[in-house]
Amino acid sequence: MTDPVVVSGVGVIAAGARGPEALWEVVCGVRQGFEPAGIPGAADATLAGRAPTVERRDVVRTSAGRRIDRLSLMVLAAARDAVADAALGDAEVAGPATGIVLGSAFGNFEETAGFLDRLGARGTGNPLVFPNLVMNAALSYLSIELGVTGPTVMVTQQEASGEVAVAAAIDLVESGAVERCLAGAGDELTPELHAVLRDVGALSSGRPRAYDASADGCVPGEGAAVLVLERESVARARGVRPWARLGAAVEFSVPAPLHGWPTDGAALAARLAPALAGAALVVGAAAGIPALDRVEAASLAASLAPGVPVIAPRTVLGHFGSAGLVGAVVAMLAIRKRTVPPGPACEVPIEPTLTFGRAARPAEAIPAVVVVGLARGGAGCLLRLEDMATP
Amino acid sequence: MVSGLGAVSALGPDVAAFRRGLREGRSGIGALTRFASGGRSDRAAEVPYEGSGAPANGSLRLSHADRLARAAAREAVRAAGLEPAMLAEAMLVVGSTTGGMRATEEHYWARARGEAARYRLSRLLATPLSTPTDVVAQDLGIGGARRTVATACSSSALAIGLAAEAIRRGRTDVAVVVGTDQLCRLTYAGFEALQALDVEACRPFDRTRRGLTLGEGAGALVLESAAHAAARGARPVVVLGGWGTTSDGHHPTAPHPEGAGAIRALQAALADAGRAPADVDYVNAHGSATPQNDAIEMRVLRAVLGARLGRVPVSSTKSQIGHCLGAAGALEAVATVVALDDGVLPPTLRVREPEPEWADVDLVADAGRTAPLACALTASYGFGGHNVVLCFERADA
Repeated sequence: MTDPVVVSGVGVIAAGARGPEALWEVVCGVRQGFEPAGIPGAADATLAGRAPTVERRDVVRTSAGRRIDRLSLMVLAAARDAVADAALGDAEVAGPATGIVLGSAFGNFEETAGFLDRLGARGTGNPLVFPNLVMNAALSYLSIELGVTGPTVMVTQQEASGEVAVAAAIDLVESGAVERCLAGAGDELTPELHAVLRDVGALSSGRPRAYDASADGCVPGEGAAVLVLERESVARARGVRPWARLGAAVEFSVPAPLHGWPTDGAALAARLAPALAGAALVVGAAAGIPALDRVEAASLAASLAPGVPVIAPRTVLGHFGSAGLVGAVVAMLAIRKRTVPPGPACEVPIEPTLTFGRAARPAEAIPAVVVVGLARGGAGCLLRLEDMATP
Repeated sequence: MVSGLGAVSALGPDVAAFRRGLREGRSGIGALTRFASGGRSDRAAEVPYEGSGAPANGSLRLSHADRLARAAAREAVRAAGLEPAMLAEAMLVVGSTTGGMRATEEHYWARARGEAARYRLSRLLATPLSTPTDVVAQDLGIGGARRTVATACSSSALAIGLAAEAIRRGRTDVAVVVGTDQLCRLTYAGFEALQALDVEACRPFDRTRRGLTLGEGAGALVLESAAHAAARGARPVVVLGGWGTTSDGHHPTAPHPEGAGAIRALQAALADAGRAPADVDYVNAHGSATPQNDAIEMRVLRAVLGARLGRVPVSSTKSQIGHCLGAAGALEAVATVVALDDGVLPPTLRVREPEPEWADVDLVADAGRTAPLACALTASYGFGGHNVVLCFERADA
């Protein structure tokens, strides 16, 4: 492609970290991403990957943002960081030439629960809260705070929400509808959501063991990531060094039980194989959830070239709908730092042929990383991030 | 190309019933029976649950929204004559605002009352908004990209535009687009709390309008590239000539007072279709019947169509099927396509006296009316300022 879409700015907040460098420290084990969940009713050993607190006064600049909800605040923080990282001024972002595509699995869960509590108790809803309950609340707040009047899209596809958002954002930039597009995703962890995960047996009794036959569940997380996407020529003209080049996203559907993970590793492998060609690193979707990890491991074993390392960031960042986009940030950090992050600590690998590194290791180059996005119900979305130095 | 349509609404279970209802000027708005409104309003446009005796809380494994989406999608695919191999490569884009929230909220309250100690997976899994998408994908054997769009009231209109763009860019030859939403207490109470509901059936563009009436349903369209349609001998009657989408960047609920974003969306749709304002024969308005929306919408139409507005019929299908939120864009797109196909303008019901500012506008009062139609617009403006306008044309225009 003569003028590819590149990532010119990154903002991320997850697992106790804000910003790419802090995130890298968590991924490489320099700092701990998990902390006690602190959820009422949960066992003391329950862990969670909490996003650091964002102060409203630090990121909200409009009167409309007075009522911003916690999830939207996280996404806005990541967006402001990404815009700054892309060396974009307020005037450059505002207006019709900028678009926004956001993804989320559950949206504003906390205030939805609060609204339902009041509605159940009093029979009436809170008018101040209701506008925050729409899935696109974060999208609306971002467009207001950043003055964006171009196309804005909210997508939701469970555990692949972030990847699908990037795919849709690539489409917008490539179509010429916008000069740049903020592609982001966010999800929050609330006591209600934690209770759901606990009650359905999805939580690990300790730390998640991705791709491991003894895995017993995930550690839930929360966070947000936003990327600035634009044509390489536009980024270079501004003197920005892009993080990575984006190849075409691969979106697909594979058979799966409704609300369940695919079970046919071969069918999934057939979808992965073309996209994995030439990949030097794979960011997996695995989170220590046995059904997910099994099918992904089987499909990677059948489609990935031998020796290509696989990492599973959800095992140190937490599992949530937008975690895949945080994984994409990890992929770009690996490319920029020419370092393969540690893989999952796998004692009894489901697929012994897969390569998991125990510690971070330098690489001469990482020309391409594929981020695997898989959602319950059978949706899939693969992102390909390439080193700018690769022709 | 639009090669198939599906519709389940308060006017009936399929496109034929929808078509008849539009033409005859029937109203699907009646009493809210699904749950107690808890407020002043008790009007809604309900769609009966599939099968008799379905529990009021929608506790079956598939939510009402899931089933509506499935029914509409099946009808559209059948009408298009798509074969399984085509569906295996097709894209699916679904727009919705609350999906299966009705089942979720009842289970949430049951748990709070101590009646359900543990979350039942099937109940809580109605929560992800992408569930109707997964249901339709599984039912139809969709193998291509799958996206769920949620921009409030413009969700499924945006879904149509995104699917069309994917076809235009060669990412797929066929796309199935669905909009679906069902009534739930959360949404009803929310709009009631905002005092946005009329206590009577809504009266879009009427001087005495007081707000919207919520509805439920599902609309579906099969979009197809011209080459793919030609190769299999399909001859669609209507095409999506162009579309436009913008944001207000103004307020979480209120539209831009001058309709700046909506004006640009309208202009963008016409430009994308290679059309001029003079080419527009009909506008299927957002027409939600709130005092603010209708006034701004007419301001927008005046700004784009100019003096010609007095000669371009404008109607609100929400006066017949209620405001179906995430399904509105798709259902109103179906209404617009049907209008072009049949040469019959859908009406606006219950307009007794328009505002003086638009006294010159033909609102197609009370019943459908035949008219030569070649090019029509449908507008959807979502909470948070997400504007989408679609421009449909007869293929022989």
